[in-house]
Amino acid sequence: MKPADQDKQTNWAAQAPLITLVVLCVLTAMMTDRFLSPLNLTNILVQSSIMAVIAMGMTFVIVGGGFDLSVGSTVALAGCVAGMVMLQFGILAGVLAGIAAGALVGLANGLVIARLGVNPFITTLGTMVLVRGVVFLITGGAPVSGEFGLPSAFIAFGSARLFGVHDLVWVPALLLIALSALLHFTPYGRRIYATGGGREAAYLSGIPVTRIIASTYVWCGALAGIAGVMLAARLQSGQPTAGEFYELTAIAAVVLGGASLQGGEGTLYKSLIGVLIMIVLGNGLNLLNVDSYWQRVAVGAVIIAAAAADRLRSRP
Amino acid sequence: MSAAAASAQAIRKQFGATTALDGVDFDVMPSEIHALVGENGAGKSTLVRILAGVYRPDEGRVAINGKNCHFSSPHDAIAAGIVTIPQELRLVPALSIAENLALGDLPVRHLCGLLPVVDRARMRADARSQLARFDFSADPDQPIGHLGFAEQQIIAIAKALRRHCRVLILDEPTAALENREIARLFAVLARLKDEGTAIIYVSHRLEEIVALADRCTVLRDGRVAALARRGEFNAADLVNAMTGHAAQELHLTPTAPGPVLIEDAEPRVDAIRLRAGEVIGLAGLLGSGAERVLARLFGTARAASVVRVTDKDLRLKSPIAAIDAGIGMVPGARRLGLVMNLSVRDNILLASLGHLRRAGWLDYRTGDRLVTELMDLLDIRPRRPHLKASALSGGNQQKVVLAKWLARRAKVLLLNEPTQGIDVAAKAQIHALLRDFATRGGGVLLNSSDLSELARLCDAVLALRQGRVAARIDRSDGLSEERVHAAIVT
Repeated sequence: MKPADQDKQTNWAAQAPLITLVVLCVLTAMMTDRFLSPLNLTNILVQSSIMAVIAMGMTFVIVGGGFDLSVGSTVALAGCVAGMVMLQFGILAGVLAGIAAGALVGLANGLVIARLGVNPFITTLGTMVLVRGVVFLITGGAPVSGEFGLPSAFIAFGSARLFGVHDLVWVPALLLIALSALLHFTPYGRRIYATGGGREAAYLSGIPVTRIIASTYVWCGALAGIAGVMLAARLQSGQPTAGEFYELTAIAAVVLGGASLQGGEGTLYKSLIGVLIMIVLGNGLNLLNVDSYWQRVAVGAVIIAAAAADRLRSRP
Repeated sequence: MSAAAASAQAIRKQFGATTALDGVDFDVMPSEIHALVGENGAGKSTLVRILAGVYRPDEGRVAINGKNCHFSSPHDAIAAGIVTIPQELRLVPALSIAENLALGDLPVRHLCGLLPVVDRARMRADARSQLARFDFSADPDQPIGHLGFAEQQIIAIAKALRRHCRVLILDEPTAALENREIARLFAVLARLKDEGTAIIYVSHRLEEIVALADRCTVLRDGRVAALARRGEFNAADLVNAMTGHAAQELHLTPTAPGPVLIEDAEPRVDAIRLRAGEVIGLAGLLGSGAERVLARLFGTARAASVVRVTDKDLRLKSPIAAIDAGIGMVPGARRLGLVMNLSVRDNILLASLGHLRRAGWLDYRTGDRLVTELMDLLDIRPRRPHLKASALSGGNQQKVVLAKWLARRAKVLLLNEPTQGIDVAAKAQIHALLRDFATRGGGVLLNSSDLSELARLCDAVLALRQGRVAARIDRSDGLSEERVHAAIVT
């Protein structure tokens, strides 16, 4: 193949997630009149914001060649820990404790996977169940909101706006800028890509692959922690059952965004496009009054189609 | 004259805007070994894949035994008796020899006349009789994974010959073999040839082709550049035909060796001492310990040993320590040298990321300048730093690995089979680069199973036998391929 053709093809393939999102939006807008209403668009952004933060963490892990099923449970843990600490020691302590709890789960995942070499799927499947158990143990299964509810300033964060945009939406927006810079313009970020793309080759080039891999899980846990705190603010309580199936949506979004489960490929920005595709799809099906059971069927089919399209594209 | 076992006439094949084959004629007779050579990208693989039914030609025709054929899939080709032994053998390591041989066509008996089960006794007996053809007596119940590569290759050939095989295509069969094993493979090929099989033999090892092939077709840029019969050509002729110009002798300027760059601090039977300006070769049969020497000096051996690098004693426990001490490693498999889905630029900078840090950020400006310089210096083609490493040819990929260590300013290069599967022109460039690296005060230690390469390139060769240095042959003592060969076999 001629170099020019090859470049053209990769460029086209690289924009596939964005094209999918645009087509999806245009179709939905044509079929329903409410899709483009300001209220609905705001709704989509707010709905996407929490998943976006989780998907960014998932992108770190998947680019590093791994996988994390425990983020849904971590979201619940972080929300509940944040609520419990907040009631005792104030908002800031609560928020930090929630994020730290998430980072701790990530560190445990990272050490077991990178140091002991246990398969990431099994490890995080284990922590997914284990952490959910811990959440129920520390909360007794009841929502965390105290006698008089969580601090009002914290709850306000879940609905307040800054410059007309929801606070919840600012979080992923700012994180996107900071973390994209980290991934693309620092030695650390490039080492994550190298480790995910070829662990042995990276090791033989002097990259501390064990530490790099473990660190991606810490990022994933900490970001799931942030998402958990955001969700607690929105739900006005720490919910022990929160975040179920979030891991699947997050992984699906990252794959829709063109990341390879083989590792070494994927960007935060495209993962967020993947999140928007998932949310817009659900929103559109809702507006079209599609039965919620059928919605699940549709979402599942889209995920498989995206993965299949990726395989076809990367076939030599 | 009898019909050719397989022939291709006026084949044209285009991929996008690139013409891979432009009117190529090729045929192989029964009981003939026809070699196919050419640089990477000359069209060898395309031609072989057309004969094997993987690709369909845009123009031209393929005939088997004189009859025109239109293969629409590899299955059609196999049914017509064309069998390919690829470089990467398709065997299942966990299954036994007998199972691998029978795979896809397991002998079945019926338990109580009903329940079909695998007839293991027959499977074993079949395996024994097939292996006997190759004078290969191994326990058929042994897992394939326990065999060496050469033995696995014989199993793969035996498996291929279970089916009716009129034409056997071998793609770089000796790339991973040593001389003794090559001799064994050649004996097998000679026997097949006597039995009437036509053999198409693709290889980069020209000396081998001169010795083995009845005819040799040289492809260049998708056309037949030469077709010669046995005895009418030598290796130099092939290089001329492949590259379009005469082969250049490597320019060896013996420099006085400088200070010791790296040596073992503890006495050992395979101790190494490498001085600045030296290119030292490691030669040995598989399992002789040459690769272990490289692993030890790069900190990837299981037990860390103390190595003295420029007068400092270091216990090398990981590549990180070795790289910090100025050592670079070019591994045998290219996927270990490169992160294939990263760009050429990222690969060149891979070992230098920490040095390119400015206030926490990666200094891409300095990095890009370095990448441009190195791509020019090493003539890495195409000059497109953002192309993925996987898109490059083998020779250019290997140059990227070298560029990575030049970017890091390594003083010592350890190389394992650096030119395996690389075309003649790129090979010559890499040899020149290594000599140049040594002339500028670097030290090179390379392991190669290509003894003629060692004899041409090195100042001295260490012959390893059973984990110990059995002999050291210096250029001044008359270093030659024959002497190295004699020193590594007992």
